Amino acid sequence: MRRSMKLFGSTMVAIVTLAAAAAPLVAQAEELGQQTLGRAYWHVFLAYAIAWIFIFGWIISIARRLGRVEKSLGNLDG
Amino acid sequence: MYKRTGWIGTATALLGVALSVLVLWMVFFWVPTEANQGVIQRIFYMHVPAAWVAFMAFGIVAFASAVYLWLGDERADMAAVAAAEGGIIFTGIVLLTGPLWGKIAWGTYWTWEPRLTLTLLLFFIYVGYFMVRAATENPEKGKRFAAVVGIVGALDIPLIHVSVLWFRSLHPEPVVLKAEGPTLDPDMLTTLLTGFLAFTVLFVGVLMLRYGLERAERELNLRQVTG
Repeated sequence: MRRSMKLFGSTMVAIVTLAAAAAPLVAQAEELGQQTLGRAYWHVFLAYAIAWIFIFGWIISIARRLGRVEKSLGNLDG
Repeated sequence: MYKRTGWIGTATALLGVALSVLVLWMVFFWVPTEANQGVIQRIFYMHVPAAWVAFMAFGIVAFASAVYLWLGDERADMAAVAAAEGGIIFTGIVLLTGPLWGKIAWGTYWTWEPRLTLTLLLFFIYVGYFMVRAATENPEKGKRFAAVVGIVGALDIPLIHVSVLWFRSLHPEPVVLKAEGPTLDPDMLTTLLTGFLAFTVLFVGVLMLRYGLERAERELNLRQVTG
């Protein structure tokens, strides 16, 4: 009984020591994980923003050029 | 004529925008997060359809250029110019959004691996298409030279597709166009296919508007020359 208590005590001490040593590593890993997740979200939003800026930019450019040409054609008619 | 294509083009482009809003909802609120790559994989639903539209645009350029060289039909040249402009826009999207994925997945924005390098080459070929048109004193000669560039440039498209299979490449292999069929989660596949549909409809609509602009510009030039 005494031996098993001693073994249990030693095991608990080992677990607590390992957990104490691992705690900063776990916290660091969680922090790194959050950083990666945040950066990934930022890149996804940026990618979609770039795509829509390009597409709407193209549409606006076409509309402006078409407006200019129609105005010139109107001037020729008038 | 260009006014009629303008109305149809506007309606088609608006439908494309509406479908794109649906895709945005699916990407950010509906589709599950990919287990290995995490959130960054969501770029895929826009990056791949943009690449598809770019390839389709340059395919149209090559076909219309061949028709122009064969028949000398001005409408084919106008279609080629309109598609080439759209192709450059969508290749630009591919070249900017891919590195945003790469920085998280590979740890670097750019690497000179075959698919990325060939896609950059495709972009420069079609920038060259417009440079060739503008560089010649005789506009008719410029159109013919550009048509040749448009046809030769399209040969890069199949090379881009097979580059991940033929060469040692970092780029992910195809997940839809495979001999054994798509290997993608059904919800992810639905989102991707909706993305393909949205960008295709949007591109066709804006292409019609751009074609109308090209037609109007040539009409103006003709009237200014003839007085």
